[in-house]
Amino acid sequence: MDPSVFFFWVFAAITVVGALGVITMRQPLHSALFLLLTFLAVAGLFILQHAEFLAAVQVLVYAGGIMVLFLFTIMLVNVRRQAKEPFVNRRAGIAVLAGFFLFLLVGGVLTGPALVKKGPPADPAALKTTVIENSTARVVVPGNSEAVAWGLYRDYLLPFEVASVFLLVAMIGAVVLGKRSLEKFD
Amino acid sequence: MPFPVSDLILIVPELFLTAVALGLLIYATVVSREKEGAIAWMALAALVLTGVLLFVPFSSVTSLPQIGFAGMFAVDKFSLFFKILILAAAAVTILFSLRFIGSSPYPGGEYYCLILLTTVGMLFMVSGVHLVSIYIALELMALSQYVLAGYFKQETKSIEAAAKYFVLGAFSSGVLLYGLSLVYGAARTLTLTGVAQALAASPKAPLFILGIILVACGLFFKIASAPFHVWAPDVYEGAPTPIAAFFAVGPKLAAYAIFARIFYSGFGPGSADWTVIVAASAALTMVVGNVGALMQENVKRLLGYSSIGHAGYALMGFLGYGTDFGLPALMIYLASYALMTLGAFGLVVMLETKGYAGESVDDFNGLARKNPTAAAAMLVFLLSLTGIPPTVGFIGKYYLFTSAMKAGWFWLALLGVLMSAVSLFYYFRIVRAMYLVDGEGELRWKEEPAVSAAVIACLAGTLLFGILPQPLVSWAKACLLN
Amino acid sequence: MLDSITSLDLLGADILTTLLFLPSLGALLLLAVPAEAKQAIRAMGLLFSGATLLVSAKIALRFDPATPGISGFRVDYPWMESLGIRYQLGIDGFALSLVVLTTLLTFCVLLVAAGQDLQRFKGYVVSFLILETGMLGSLVALDTILFYVFWEVMLVPMYFIIGIWGGKRRIYAAMKFFLFTLVGSLLMFIAILFLAIQHQKTTGILSFSLLDWMNAAKSNAWALTPGMEALVFGAFALAFLVKVPLWPLHTWLPDAHVEAPTGGSVILAGVLLKLGTYGLMRFALPLFPNATMKFTPLIVGLALVGVVYGAWVAAAQKDMKKLVAYSSVSHLALVVLGIFAGNAEAAAGAIYQMIGHGLTTGLLFMLVGVLYDRRHTREMADYGGVARQVPVTTTLFVIATLGSIGLPGLNGFIGEFLILAGVFKVNVVWCAIAATGMILSAIYMLTLIQKVFWGPVTQPVNNGLTDINIWEFLGAMPLVAGIVILGVYPGPVLDLLKPSITFVLEAARLHP
Repeated sequence: MDPSVFFFWVFAAITVVGALGVITMRQPLHSALFLLLTFLAVAGLFILQHAEFLAAVQVLVYAGGIMVLFLFTIMLVNVRRQAKEPFVNRRAGIAVLAGFFLFLLVGGVLTGPALVKKGPPADPAALKTTVIENSTARVVVPGNSEAVAWGLYRDYLLPFEVASVFLLVAMIGAVVLGKRSLEKFD
Repeated sequence: MPFPVSDLILIVPELFLTAVALGLLIYATVVSREKEGAIAWMALAALVLTGVLLFVPFSSVTSLPQIGFAGMFAVDKFSLFFKILILAAAAVTILFSLRFIGSSPYPGGEYYCLILLTTVGMLFMVSGVHLVSIYIALELMALSQYVLAGYFKQETKSIEAAAKYFVLGAFSSGVLLYGLSLVYGAARTLTLTGVAQALAASPKAPLFILGIILVACGLFFKIASAPFHVWAPDVYEGAPTPIAAFFAVGPKLAAYAIFARIFYSGFGPGSADWTVIVAASAALTMVVGNVGALMQENVKRLLGYSSIGHAGYALMGFLGYGTDFGLPALMIYLASYALMTLGAFGLVVMLETKGYAGESVDDFNGLARKNPTAAAAMLVFLLSLTGIPPTVGFIGKYYLFTSAMKAGWFWLALLGVLMSAVSLFYYFRIVRAMYLVDGEGELRWKEEPAVSAAVIACLAGTLLFGILPQPLVSWAKACLLN
Repeated sequence: MLDSITSLDLLGADILTTLLFLPSLGALLLLAVPAEAKQAIRAMGLLFSGATLLVSAKIALRFDPATPGISGFRVDYPWMESLGIRYQLGIDGFALSLVVLTTLLTFCVLLVAAGQDLQRFKGYVVSFLILETGMLGSLVALDTILFYVFWEVMLVPMYFIIGIWGGKRRIYAAMKFFLFTLVGSLLMFIAILFLAIQHQKTTGILSFSLLDWMNAAKSNAWALTPGMEALVFGAFALAFLVKVPLWPLHTWLPDAHVEAPTGGSVILAGVLLKLGTYGLMRFALPLFPNATMKFTPLIVGLALVGVVYGAWVAAAQKDMKKLVAYSSVSHLALVVLGIFAGNAEAAAGAIYQMIGHGLTTGLLFMLVGVLYDRRHTREMADYGGVARQVPVTTTLFVIATLGSIGLPGLNGFIGEFLILAGVFKVNVVWCAIAATGMILSAIYMLTLIQKVFWGPVTQPVNNGLTDINIWEFLGAMPLVAGIVILGVYPGPVLDLLKPSITFVLEAARLHP
């Protein structure tokens, strides 16, 4: 087996197991740790795609920054052990069934024979460089942090800027909903 | 594909509105609580001005549609149609909110800012021609709405509404995103034109079909059509009434616009497959919405279910893909839906402007005696929602049913009219309360000039376009997707 | 006098448009009148309904019976251009006779209302004026969508008339009325859309005009398969038969009639029911000749059941209004029978009976209302021997009854005789069954008079009963006059109807 395929399956399995852990753990702390595992596995998947920059960002920002914040929050609010509730409720059966059905569907489609017309086979070397089509010239950018930059700040500039407004809204929302005091009026 | 800086002129309206929203946010920190009304009026002025600015991009382009920002953003008549409706809906919402928020213990600055920002999201949505720009704009719209739904955070209902909306909304976004990624996997491009080309080349690719189904499910959630409708009545009930009015119209307009754009411009070649899904959802939605509304006591919930029913009718418009009737029918219907729904909500806002009291059907008891004009206005809106001529609701339904029948979906049109008859039951419960039941004199009615003005505008549109629909029809037909 | 109304044409509208919108204009102006100004409201209501009556009279005088087709005073403007929907009006003898009936009854109802002490009087007058526009519009519209619009416009004011000014179970009755008719008309709406699409597909012309459709139906240019035709005919027939109402679709009628206020009952029985039979003759028959042929046995069967059933149930009633309501079921079933008998006599009789029934039943409801207003009961047992107290009411009631049961010399006789004569030609058994209904009607109506008016006064409270007041008398007199005139001098009306009947029967390919 091609080692990259082998590692793909490994990381993919870790991702899925981690994600399952996030939603099945009772302790928020444990959930957070499983989320960390998922993030790291996804970073591994990025590396397999030769997206080293993205992988690094994934580890630094998500695994490093955001997870730490999560953990801080969990510890600060000091969530105690939740009251026992039945883990499987009435609708779980339906949910599992629906999920299984979707799994079969997606799995069937992804492993099925005729997907779409195959494009040219991926060239590993090409992944390391990015070709920028320009109206005047064809620019070959080495390395992938440049490629990300080109994509993010040029082709995808508009969604990028909209995303910045989006984050601002998230901040406003956090303040609005989180602020404790409410000056009484009238 | 780089793009010239001059593309910025294409998004002048959106830039302006964003700038005003941020400015108001800062201004809100220095203005006293008593003078917050000024923020509302400024926000209103900004919406009007944005409406004027919408025409700036058109003056700068030579041919339509003009695609800018490396294939992300389109300036065309189709988006113009929806942008004008969305801005109008946002403006009406602000008029509804003036006293509602002013007399509540909650600050107004962030509220109006969020309304403007969610509107910005909608404006970007309807102009999006690239799956990423559409998705990000959709999220901008949705996130602002989650906050607005929970804005009355000391009310349990409001927080509950926000939580439900957020969890289900995030889930549906996930479904949508998964669908989009599968489409990307199949098409290897994210522009709608590219997707259409790839789909035309291999129309029966299972990956495509799965992606289309998941995208449809994600969008069904946004327009509150069955089986992804459960959030709507709860959210409408819990959210502050002006926001509920906005939710029933603004986001739906934007969601229908991207639904139309993605499915017409992008998934068009696969229409044989997706029309079946849309038809099934339309049938289910009509039944669930109209039958569900029968048992509601709360007017906001009732209007919530009714808006689900209307989503079902509107979905019929998509079935006309490939005919010259489907899209104009949808657009005319949405315009009529916006008019009558906002009008009806406006009267609920006036019925009681404090908190959550006074929104049951019984609260309308005896309105016809206390305030005949308001009762008459509500009557017109309810008739229009039922689809009885001579109101704009009839014109909208007329187009949709014709479109469905032209596309060969007779049974669906038949189901539609039967459900219209069912809808009569619950709409006329309000009419009955207003006209046939004598109120006990404890009607909590607050006349408000701002709300009245908005309601009168909706009323004028409902009647005028009901009797002389030609201007609306011509406008919609001039604004089709190319 | 009539020429002075010519000035109404100066509004820039043609005479049919004037006729249509004069009542709504009145309703609109009334909105500006304060609700307390009862005198002004009364005056406005009478003024506008009276003016409408005069306009219809002017149309009647100007109308030339020889006008072919439905082309009298034709109006034709584009309305929703891109859809081929037109503002197309026209009138023939058939529609004209019902137009005059409508304007007359509305005016009379408002006269009667002027003498009543009604709550929310302004709303009452406004409702009737809007209702009048709806009724007139349904009668003169030639574009099917325009027709549908007016057809629906009628529902809302009638809902309010029953629901606000009605009796104890008014809310239930109003909703039942609304729902029954709405379901029928929505199905018709879908059928109209279907026909337009089919018409465009086959002939290339996008049109909702009845006249275009009749052309298409003539040679089946719109290529309706028998199955399609049956379905579409079914939708149309259902909408109209609910309105008629034909057994077994009649169940809303007794409820609506019993609960409706006097004016509502008068208009309901006098005009709304006729719109059902009008629709059958105007739309269902000419557009779908083959399906008409196919369904005739079924509908005739239902009509025969209706004639006998309605009469039988009427005979068992203790409530006067219910009795008259069921008698309407019976009489209207006879009209349906006349329409589907398929010859000129029966059709002429059917139309004549439609007009006559509008007058007699309108008068009966009016007079029952007079009694009800004074005693607040409709039970026959609560009266008895009141003839001495209310001689005028009694006289009028007897005239109406005799007209209703078909006494020679009054209107009912001519209509019923023509129908029975026409049906006799087709099928003797049908005729015999229908005649039973006539005999039963004499029995129950005369019993009613016997129980309520003749004999000694059984209840002391009735000694103080006051007779009809001046407004009610004024409202009743035109109907009495109509009953007598139609009874002794049917010639002009029958001449007026003749071309329309030929036109319909030819289109329906029903004439021999």
